[in-house]
Parts: sequence; C-alpha cells; structure tokens
Amino acid sequence: MNELFVNLIIFLPLLGAVGCLLPRDNPALSRMIAMVTAVVVLLINVALAWSFYGEAGGTSYLPSGGESVVRYVTDLVWIESVNIHYLVGVDGLSMPLLLLTSILNVLIIAAGWNVEKHTKAFMSLYLVLMFGMYGVFLALDFFLFYVFFEVSLLPMYFLIGIWGGPRKEYAAIKFFIYTLVGSICLLMVMLGFYFLVPDVATGAAAAGGKPSFNMIALAADEGVQQAFNHGGQFWTYAKWFFILLFISFAIKVPAVPFHTWLPDAHVEAPTPISMILAGVLLKMGGYALMRISYPIFPDAAKWAWFGVAIVGVVSIVYGAFCAMAQTDWKKLVAYSSVSHMGYVILGLAVLTEAGRNGAYFQMIGHGISSAMMFFLVGVVYERAHHRDLNRFGGLWNTMPAYTGLAAVGFFAGLGLPLLCGFPGEVLSLMGTFGAIEWIENAPSWVPFSGAGSSATVITLGVFAASGVILTAGYILWMFQRVYMGPARPEYTYSGRDMVNGREYFVMAVLALFAIILGVWPAVVLDMISNTFNAIYAPFSSLASAAGF
Amino acid sequence: MTPENLLVLATALPAIGFAIVILLGARVANEKVWSWFTVGMVGGSLVCSVIAYVNFMAGSGEPVSIAWNWLQIGVNADGSGRYLQIGPYVDKMTVLLFAMVTIISTLVHIYSIGYMEGDSRKTRFMAYMQLFTFSMLGIVLGNSLLQLYIFWELVGISSYLLIGFWYEKRGPQLACKKAFVMNRIGDMGFAVGMGILFFKCGGDLVLRSAESGPGIFGTIMDRLAIDPLNAGADNWWLTLAGIGLFMGAMGKSAQFPLQTWLPDAMEGPTPVSSIVHSATMVAAGVYLTARIFPLLTPAAHLFVATIGLITLIMAALIACVQTDIKKVLAYSTLSQLGYMVLALGAGSYTYAMFHLVTHAFFKCCLFQCAGSVIHAAHHEQEMTKYGGLLRKMPITAACFAVCTLAIAGASIPYTEMALSGYYSKDGIIAATVNYGDALAAHGMDWGKVFYWGPTIIAYVTAFYMTRAFVLTFLGKPRDRHLHDHAHEVNWTMWFPQVVLASFAVFIGWSFFKVGANIHETAPEMAQPFDPEHDLAHGFHFVHAALLHGFGWMISIGLGFALYVNGLSIASKIAAIPGIAQIHWWLYNKMGFDGLYDIIAVNLGKALSSILGAFDRYVVDGAVNGAAWIGRELGFLVGGFDYQYVDGTVRGSGRAALRLGSILHRTQAGNIRMYVLILFVAVFTGLAIATPFALGWVWFGLPSH
Repeated sequence: MNELFVNLIIFLPLLGAVGCLLPRDNPALSRMIAMVTAVVVLLINVALAWSFYGEAGGTSYLPSGGESVVRYVTDLVWIESVNIHYLVGVDGLSMPLLLLTSILNVLIIAAGWNVEKHTKAFMSLYLVLMFGMYGVFLALDFFLFYVFFEVSLLPMYFLIGIWGGPRKEYAAIKFFIYTLVGSICLLMVMLGFYFLVPDVATGAAAAGGKPSFNMIALAADEGVQQAFNHGGQFWTYAKWFFILLFISFAIKVPAVPFHTWLPDAHVEAPTPISMILAGVLLKMGGYALMRISYPIFPDAAKWAWFGVAIVGVVSIVYGAFCAMAQTDWKKLVAYSSVSHMGYVILGLAVLTEAGRNGAYFQMIGHGISSAMMFFLVGVVYERAHHRDLNRFGGLWNTMPAYTGLAAVGFFAGLGLPLLCGFPGEVLSLMGTFGAIEWIENAPSWVPFSGAGSSATVITLGVFAASGVILTAGYILWMFQRVYMGPARPEYTYSGRDMVNGREYFVMAVLALFAIILGVWPAVVLDMISNTFNAIYAPFSSLASAAGF
Repeated sequence: MTPENLLVLATALPAIGFAIVILLGARVANEKVWSWFTVGMVGGSLVCSVIAYVNFMAGSGEPVSIAWNWLQIGVNADGSGRYLQIGPYVDKMTVLLFAMVTIISTLVHIYSIGYMEGDSRKTRFMAYMQLFTFSMLGIVLGNSLLQLYIFWELVGISSYLLIGFWYEKRGPQLACKKAFVMNRIGDMGFAVGMGILFFKCGGDLVLRSAESGPGIFGTIMDRLAIDPLNAGADNWWLTLAGIGLFMGAMGKSAQFPLQTWLPDAMEGPTPVSSIVHSATMVAAGVYLTARIFPLLTPAAHLFVATIGLITLIMAALIACVQTDIKKVLAYSTLSQLGYMVLALGAGSYTYAMFHLVTHAFFKCCLFQCAGSVIHAAHHEQEMTKYGGLLRKMPITAACFAVCTLAIAGASIPYTEMALSGYYSKDGIIAATVNYGDALAAHGMDWGKVFYWGPTIIAYVTAFYMTRAFVLTFLGKPRDRHLHDHAHEVNWTMWFPQVVLASFAVFIGWSFFKVGANIHETAPEMAQPFDPEHDLAHGFHFVHAALLHGFGWMISIGLGFALYVNGLSIASKIAAIPGIAQIHWWLYNKMGFDGLYDIIAVNLGKALSSILGAFDRYVVDGAVNGAAWIGRELGFLVGGFDYQYVDGTVRGSGRAALRLGSILHRTQAGNIRMYVLILFVAVFTGLAIATPFALGWVWFGLPSH
C-alpha cells in the first residue's frame, strides 16, 4: 500500500496536469482540479509519514542484501542496457521534505487562486513542477534523479517567463541557463559513474558487468569507493566528482558566488512561484548534497570541508550584507534566502551530526519562513503595486492583523527562538564548533587538521555567528520602513482591497507551522536522525572519535 | 506542588496570557477587561512564585535540576538520541528572583493600567508585557545555556516590541531597532561561547548536573579536571568561552561598550522603562554572569571587573549633567549595573545578586515616579521645566525621596539601620577591596582602582540622584503652566510606587537572611572570595569608608545646595572654560552614539552598499558577461552562418536565378534545348554523386 502511495505521489500531479488542460473555457475547474490534486497528494503524504513515523525499523533494501533505512521501495528496470532503474523509496531524508512540499503545494495553489492569465496553463505547469519536485525527493537512482531534476526546471522557466514581472524573459532565461550549467556538471558526473562504477551486485568492473546508478548502493559499497579513489595521485575521481556535484547543487541552493540567478528570478516571478522557488526548489540543492555528494564521496567531503564551509560562511555574511543593501522588498527577501541557505552549507560542511541535523532542519524551517515572507510581500505588492522599501510606512496601523502575522514570518526569518528559523541555525553553529575534535585528529590531508584546528574552526564560527547581527539588521530595518511609522492613506485598504480570507488562510497556516516547528523541532529531527546515522556511516567514526 | 512545577506554571501563565490576549484581542472584550486579565495572569505567577519560595526555603534547600530533551543533535551507538536540553533549575537564587520578577512585573502591570489609559493599543501593550515577563522568567528558570539563549532572544524581541510601542514616531522606531541589534552583538558572543562549551563538553549545554549527564560544570571540573580559577594558558578556550558568554550579558545589561541602547530605550512608554531597568532585561545579563560564574577564569574575572568599572564610572558622570529625568535614571541604572558586574568580576557573586534585587525595587519605583511626573506634566521630560512638584504630587515625591535615599546608600551612622541600597552597595565595595588586594598580591598594584572607583562613584550616585529629586520636586516651579496642571496620579499608579518604595526600605533588613540564602548557592569555586569573608570585610569597611565619612550626607547636601534654586548655580559652573567642554562631552553621552554611527552603522551601511553593488556589477556582471559573450558568439556564428554558409546557399540560389534569367531566353519552346539541359544536369549530378556512392560501397555505409 505504501509503495503504491509513493508512486501515486509522483504520478498523481502528472495526471492532474493533464486533467487541468481538459476543461474548456473553465479556469475555475482547472484550479479546482489542481487544488484537489494537491490536497490528495498531501493526504497521501500524511498517511505515508504516519506509517513511516510509526515503524521502528526500515524495510531492508539493497541489491547486496544489506540493511537500509529506505522503505516503500519500487524497483523496476527502466533502461536495461545501462542498468537504469525506476527506483523510488522513502527514508528520513525525503520524508520531511515531502511533507513540506505537499503542505506548501496546497498553500501555493491557494496563493495562486487569483491568477487570471491563462489559468489552465498555469495550474497545469505548476502540477508538472510538482511532479518534478516529488520525483527529486523520491528518486534513488541517479539517472532518475537527474531526469526529475531537469523536469522541475522547464515548468519553472515558463512559470516565470509567462506570468512574471516586467523583466520576466531575462529572469526566466537566466534561471534556466544557469541551472542548466549545473545540470551539465551533474551529467558529467553521471557519465563518470557509467564508466567507473563496478557492478555493485557482482563486484565486477564496469567494462564487464553493469554499472549502477543506485545511490543507496553506491554510498554503501566498498568497491565503488575504491574505484572513485583512483585517478590522479591527488586529484582522485572522487574529488572531481565532488566538486562538479557541489557546483551543480550550489547553483541550486544557491550559494555565493553562484547565486545571482536567484534575486532576478524571485523579483520577476509571481508570488506563488517565488514561494515554491524559495520554499522547495532551493531545497533540492541541499537535499542533493545530503543524498548524493556526502554519502557517496566521504573522503572527498573531508578533504573539501574547509572550502565548503567557507562557501557557507561567505553565503551567510555576504547574503546578509546584500540583503541590507536592497531597496526592493522582494530582492531583500531573496538575498535573505542566500544568507539562510548558507547555514545549510555550513552545517553540512563540518561533518558533525549536530551540523547535519541543523542543515536539514534549516531547510525545512527556511521552507516555511521564506515561503511566508514571499507571500507577505506579495500580499502588499498586489495592493500597492510597488515594492520600494523607501516608499512604504505605517502598515502596522492600516493592516494590523496582517502585520501581526508578518511579525511571525519575518521574525522566523530573523531566527527568533520558538519559531522555525532558530533550531537550524543554532544546530549548524553548534555543529561547527563540534567539528574541532575530528579535525584536530584527522589525517594530514584534511585541511587545517592538527593542533591549529580550533582557532580555524572558532574563527569560522565567529563569522557564522556574526550573521545573527546582520540578519537582525536587515530584517528590523525592513520592518521599520514598511510597518512602522504613521498610517498613510495610500496604504489604507477597505472593502474588496482588504486582506481576504484566502490570504489569511495561507499566512495563518504558515505561521502555525513556523511556531510548531520552532517549539517542537523533534517533529522533523526524529524522522531524520536514524537515516543520517545509517547513510552517513563513513562519518560516524568521526563522531565517536569526538567522544559525542 | 513541588517548587519546580510551581515555577514552570508561573512561567507559563504569562505566556498563556499573551497568547489569549493576542489571539482574541479587541473583538472579545474591551481593554479594561484585558488589562485586569493580564494582571490576573501575572498575579497568578506571583502567587506560584511566592508559594515556591516559601516551600523551597522551608525544604531541604537541595537544588533541583531537570533536563528535558529538546533539540536532537545525533544518535548514540545504541540508537538512542543525544539532545540539547532545556528544563528548570531551582535553587535559592531561582526562587528569590522569581519572587522579585513577579512582584515587580505585577506592580508594573497595575501601573500600566493607569499610565496607558486612553492609548488606543493598550490591550496590545498589556499583551507584550506578558510576553516580556514570560521571557524573563524563562531565563531565570533556565537550566541550560540553550534555554538561557532562547529566552534571552525572546526578552530581546519583547523589549523590541515594547520600546517601539509608539512606532508612529521616529524615535521609538530607531530605539527599538538599536536595542535589538546591539543586543545581538552581545548574542553573537553568547553563541560563540556556547559553541565552545558545546564542543568541550561533548554536546551538553546543561549547566549543572542533571539525570542526563554531568552538565558543563561537572564536565569541566571533573572530567576535564580543570579548575577555572587556576586555568593555565592551554585552557585559553575557557577564558574565551567565559568572555563570549559575558558578551551576551554586556548586551543585555548594557555594559560598556554596548551601553548606548539603554538610554535610547527611554523612547518606550515609561512602564517599559521601569520594568526593563529593574526586573527584566538588564537583570538578565547580571543573572547570566552569575549563573556561569564558576566557569570564569582569572582573566575573564579581570575582563568582567574592568567592564563593570568603566561602565559604572562613565554612566555616573554622564548622569550628573543630563536634564531629561528619564535619561538621568537610565544612566543611573547603567552605573548600578556596573556595580553588579564589577562585583561579579571581583568574585562577589553574593553581593552582585543582592544588589540586583535591591536595585530592582528602588529603580522600578524611581521610574514609576518619573513616569507619574511625566504623566502629570503632559509628557514633558525635561527637569528644567519641573520644580516645586512636591505639593502637587506628595505621594510620588515621597516615594521618589525614599528611593533616592535607598540608591544613595543612606544609613544611620554607627548602627545597622539603613535602606536597602546601603547593604548591597557596601558589600560590593567591600568585595572590591579583597579583589584589589588579590590583584596587588599578583603584582598588579593598579588593582586598587577597582576599589577607589566604586567608592568615589558611590558619592557621585548620591549627588546626581539628589539633583534629580531637587530639580523635580523642590524649588520654585519653573514652568507655571506645567505646574498648574500637574496633579497626583490615580491609585493604579501610586499604589505600585508605594509598595515598591516600602520594599526599598525593608528588603535590606533581611540582609543576613537574603544574603545567606544566596551565598549558599555560590559555587565552591568562589571560595577565595568567600561570602563570609566579604561579610566580615563589609562591616569593617562600612565603618571605614561610607559611614565614617558620612558620604551619602555630604553628597546629598551638595546636591541640595547646588540645585535648590534650579539650574542657576550649575549653569554658571558649567560655563567655566574647561568645565564647559567636559560638560558638553558628558551631556552628549561621551560621544558614543556619534562614534558608533560613524564606525559601525556607517561602516555597515557602506559595506552593504559596496557588497550589494559588487554583487550586482561584479558577480552578476560576470554571469551577464558570460551570457553576453555567449550571445555575441552566437551572433558572430550566426552572422558567419548568414554571410558565408547561408551566403553560399543564397549565392547559389541567386546564381541559379541569374542563370535562369539567362536561360529563360532559351525557353522558347525549343524541345531539343530542354533535353540538352536535362542531360547536362543529370550528368553533373551523377558526377557529384558517384564518388560518394563509390565511397559507401567501398568503405561501408556509415553506421550509427
């Protein structure tokens, strides 16, 4: 039953996308079909999570027969000649993101309820996007993953390019081509896998047996690791692949310096699309790092820890400074995403359990808070028709209930405790400091290993922690410029212009989740820790060396 | 119920109150109902706290340490989780501070009902006060650094909401933002200190041992076998962690150099000032330092003491020249906080906490009195416009007078009868004698400054407080209109003042009781600075410095003499060259705001604009440049394609046309000519195609 659910999650949106196109001259029906699809998928996800949460052990799944935490697996041969499988399943890494995606999908379709332009096409494309997103989070075969990764790209191109703002064509093409560059890196790694990976089942070399794209098996297999650690003396295949994958996913995250597609895409995209872009699509990058880069290339990850951590810290600080410089409200929120996703990169880079947990939680927390922030901006933009921070003021007086919800959303972005932005940040930070131990005891090929490691790590930690000041700076400055000040007639809305029930619904649900996640972070962390423990086994020796 | 359950309930009540008021709001009931509802919630908190206090003091006095799992940081080998924990920790200090915070919060809630009368957002104000109280109680109850940090931030955000309550005006907007951001500078240090301890203590952030583990103190002292007071150079991380955590305290307790937000926070409604400056927020920093006290190394002690000394001197001097009544009180708070922090640095855990408690009552009362005056004076805050309000507002004036005496450390010479501030401040000064001696013993003779500083400033304190009292309540009215309209405030405002003033009088009487209660929880680490030792020296010193010198009387007398006729004498003194410049410098708060504007704010803004532009033009420029190159290359190739590749095609087309036009002459129905052309064409075609065909046959067809 759960296996069926997994496949339904992927293909129902596709069915819905076709369904949306069928009704002629009836946009309301298309909208309804999209909503029903999203709600059904949400319910399926909840059912899946229910049984996932309830079952203590995982279904054993591995070609070699080993234990695994992956459950509800469907494994069909897709392209036999190159051993590509349709392999989907659920583990702790995918479950919370699936839930996040399905919740956001419902809210985003509600947020896009007032899209009048080509409603049918909008909803249909959105459902195709949904298909791609769920596929990414469920695929366990590298090729299949790649396919879904690309599938999610195309609808986004049209959604920005057709329904976007004044510079929509520029933003859409930039988004598309930039992300495509990442995809090419991904493709190169895939070709590398094809030529290098021995048959996991038989252990035979690639030339004789069939290579595998099974990501779970690749991570666990000794032979694969050996194969990857060949190549140059220093530049092993693993390092090349790690770097290529990192570029590919860093573009998606996005991490500095691969981030400039994001502000443009966000500024031009319509509100619901900004929400899904920040809420879920960026998480595909972080998820892919967690799913592919780190488990499959553990040695390369240790080697790269410092570089990756620097990317994370620079993203945090640089993103925050850039956010402070913006006068376009939406651009400010877009740069805040860059800054916040820096904690994901940093938490992963330092290879501690706390850091990983933090990185993952940050993705979920940011999924809620960024979607909410973009919606909050959208609500005002639809009424004021501009986003110039210097022209706002006094919204707290003219829209008090909305401002109350806005406070929850923006303060969640600010990383206020008991809201969803806090646990991820604090865990990433703590994890960073925790890394001192393993780096101190690491072999000499790990950068900054040995006695001097503590100073290096503490310095990184100090810079990362300085993000809390800058975040407070740009969020509160924005809050002051938009919400504080005397009431202004031009932002006083009455009658049909008042914030309506649909909008309150979206904001209230997001605020509710922001609070739930902040007060009870275990709801996410409980699901992921076993999986992390299992698929990050190559790093667990680090943790035990650290004594915690 | 056990004390810990009572205290958890006491913490939860204001949170529930906040949620109810914010969610239901004006639609359900009017502001009057909600105001008294919030008073009821915090009053319930007070009842719980008092019962817990009595229970705990009557019980064994054994601290209760409970840790609940909250944030999972990993999985153990056996599959169980490892967590960052939060939970209640109850000892005598906890119950004492709960009682103090809830008493003051309740009184401020009641006071707010009168003060905020007629404000359109009064309900919301009361809700924020609930949130503020909840946050502070969460800190006091905190067993782990994580919990302290959580509520630390919540105190920050509730103060943000309260200071910026009148957000229509520019002043509060800037002040609340400044308060939060400056606090976050301290919080960064807090986070770093927490991170270092997290790493050293194996992911444990609980301070004292609980069921789940030994806690930070246990780990450092037992497992790592480090004695912080004798920590060597290889334990520099402990000093760093201690200073980092103390940075958090510097932010919240507004210590130099993070002090500038506190005077600006006066932009909030006065009830906010009265609670911020006494029981919550600024108290949090001192409390945190007291909680992490056993971790502080000698270097950290010195750092803490120095910061405290600088703050107390600087603020007292500034307070002497301010004319805004709330500013005087604000700087007075800074100075008194400096005393507490100095005491902590000097190792007198006991007296720092004792002064925190006594100060909370009289400072809260002073602010409420000031608020009443401001309320009566139609929001005029300049003392230059006051004068002679004693007759108009006798209750307020009496409360203000009592608290002025209390903060001045008034006592009856050669007896033990004194107001509360006397006991705690003398204890601090006594501790600094020990500390100065200890430093001198280590070759730091200048350590004596830690004793002379607070001693001299004790005189200054009495002086500037007298100045404020005299300028406000005595002398001739300087603004007739204001004076005519002034009136005593209603009971919701004077009642809390009277209660607080009586606390300021008698809480010192229980000196030995309270003092003894706190010092029992003082960690063993503090033995070199043994409270009993403090006590002995305290009395020795009481005679030596303050009582003998009748210090408070001198200062008060001077204050009367100078200011009883308004600012006429003082302004003459301030006009003397040399003094004038110092006066100007002090009046402008020693220029810190300007300095920070130049250094931090402008630098931050400049950096953000530079990086923003860098991002736009360089980073994004590179992307667009790459795109441009790609596009230009495309055009180039496209042009080449059009010009040459397609040109050839077109050329041949044109050639064919031209040929056609030539040949069309031949189309005169001449059949033979047609056949000829056909023949030539076929032959040419074959001639071209044959080599290809031969090639295919020869080499095989291209496979795919």
